[in-house]
Amino acid sequence: MTMPPLLELRAISRRFGGLQALEDVSFGLQEGEIFGLIGPNGAGKTTLFNIITGVTRPSGGQVLWKQTGIEGLPPHRIHRLGLARTFQNLRLFESLSCLDNVQVGLGRSDRRRALELLALFGLQARAAEAAGGLAYGDRRRLEMARALASAPQLLLLDEPAAGLNPGEKQELSALIRRLAAELHLTVLIIEHHVPLMMQLCDRLAVLNFGRLIALGRPDAVRHDPLVIEAYLGGAGGAGGAGGAGGATEDPS
Amino acid sequence: MLDGSLLVQMLIGALLGLSVYLPLAAGQLSLATPGFMTVGGYVAALLSTRVAALGGAEPLYPLPSLLLELLLAAVVALALALLVGLPVLRLRGIYLAIATIALNEILRVVLLNNSWTGGAVGIFAIPQPFGDPLGYLAALAVLLLLAGATCQAIARHPLGRAMAAVRDDELAASCTGIDSFRIKLLAFAASAVLAALTGVLAAHFFNTWNARQGSFDASITTLAFVVFGGSRHWLGPVLGGLVLTALPELLRPVGDLRLVVFGAVILLGPLLFPQGVVTPALLQRLLP
Ligand SMILES: Nc1ncnc2c1ncn2[C@@H]1O[C@H](COP(=O)(O)OP(=O)(O)OP(=O)(O)O)[C@@H](O)[C@H]1O
Ligand SMILES: [Mg+2]
Repeated sequence: MTMPPLLELRAISRRFGGLQALEDVSFGLQEGEIFGLIGPNGAGKTTLFNIITGVTRPSGGQVLWKQTGIEGLPPHRIHRLGLARTFQNLRLFESLSCLDNVQVGLGRSDRRRALELLALFGLQARAAEAAGGLAYGDRRRLEMARALASAPQLLLLDEPAAGLNPGEKQELSALIRRLAAELHLTVLIIEHHVPLMMQLCDRLAVLNFGRLIALGRPDAVRHDPLVIEAYLGGAGGAGGAGGAGGATEDPS
Repeated sequence: MLDGSLLVQMLIGALLGLSVYLPLAAGQLSLATPGFMTVGGYVAALLSTRVAALGGAEPLYPLPSLLLELLLAAVVALALALLVGLPVLRLRGIYLAIATIALNEILRVVLLNNSWTGGAVGIFAIPQPFGDPLGYLAALAVLLLLAGATCQAIARHPLGRAMAAVRDDELAASCTGIDSFRIKLLAFAASAVLAALTGVLAAHFFNTWNARQGSFDASITTLAFVVFGGSRHWLGPVLGGLVLTALPELLRPVGDLRLVVFGAVILLGPLLFPQGVVTPALLQRLLP
């Protein structure tokens, strides 16, 4: 890992009143890797996404994009640098059609390209329907299509498999791999389903109570005693916390 | 019953409806449409009563002087809109509604207590560039056509999608690359300018102008145009403005009952048509 990271977090902290949501979190993402962020509910994962994308300011620390500090920039400027995201609690433009949701992501009118993106997620037949009327799984997929529309370099996915059935989870995982390879994407993904993350991610970071407690390849993280204690609840091996799987749709 | 003078007022209503609609299309509630109309009216009233060359002396009268008033009213409204919008629209939420109520009140108090603007009585004997209502009808129709065509063009443009995105979810819009502050400011500025242009024509038509044009009642009435007509398509507020302006006059024969009927329409409209009378679905059925 001698290449400078695409995205680097340096000593990120965030306080909400008396609550230390993040404390001294540092790690970097190499270009092209699929990087997983796991941890129990309330560990600070979404807060970290919000800080990277400019939604929330860090109380301390730096966010470096290609070695330039971007903390403090507004979300639309950060988006234009090549970072796109989805939301844990789904934030579509409900009154707009699927096609228009994707065209907002494109930033221009381009029906053909928008339909291609919808087709990537099996949504081409829904193009004219309002996003607000879609089934849950389709809403998740539409959000990813919208995020990909801007051709980002880094895609941040906040629990994209939440609420999907096991078959759909597998499909999504395969799709993320394929997209990452084809579009030369770097992916930062939050997901509670540990077996899926072990299989999907090149590296994992584990947060617990706002602190980074483990960082490394899935095999190493899986056997880290701190992780087993804090996150897997002593169950050992993968899959122990799969049950936490995305039941959390808290408002952010 | 539909005499020329009522038609003129209906077109004024339609234009004011559009002025309320524009910021709403980006999720922003501005209650200052009557305030900006008042400002536009004062620009016209002051220029044409105080500057001889603009008030009847050839050769600047009537069209060049009218165009000059429109231009100046637009500039003044734009400056005021920026003054209010720049600090307020950086915030997410209903702050524009609060700030525009305050703006209305400040304008009213300043205009009422200023001898330069005629104080409480306002300005009388504003010259009439057009001999009969037909001239005003034509001028207002041109303005409405331009405004409607602009709204139609925006709806098909990325700008229209960006406005709808900000209205649906401002945070998600920002995270999708939209400068929501710029979009909101643009919509609010357009609303202010349109109201002021309408005010210029209205002041000439009514022949007299005072600060009561910008009362809180007027804010609610113009808002009702959009609630009744619908805020999902620009034709909604146009219809709302036309119908709700005509209704009290058309109901005159039923005497005092007309206020009851008017109130019932405003009340029942949103109940029967929660999205307003004009919805995209309706338009799709009518114009396949
Ligand atoms: N805007 C906010 N104001 C106050 N507290 C907040 C805010 N956002 C997050 N928090 C708190 O910060 C902590 C971390 O929240 P965060 O949403 O980042 O957790 P998470 O790891 O994403 O959890 P989950 O797995 O449940 O989604 C929680 O205790 C949460 O209540
Ligand atoms: Mg979360």
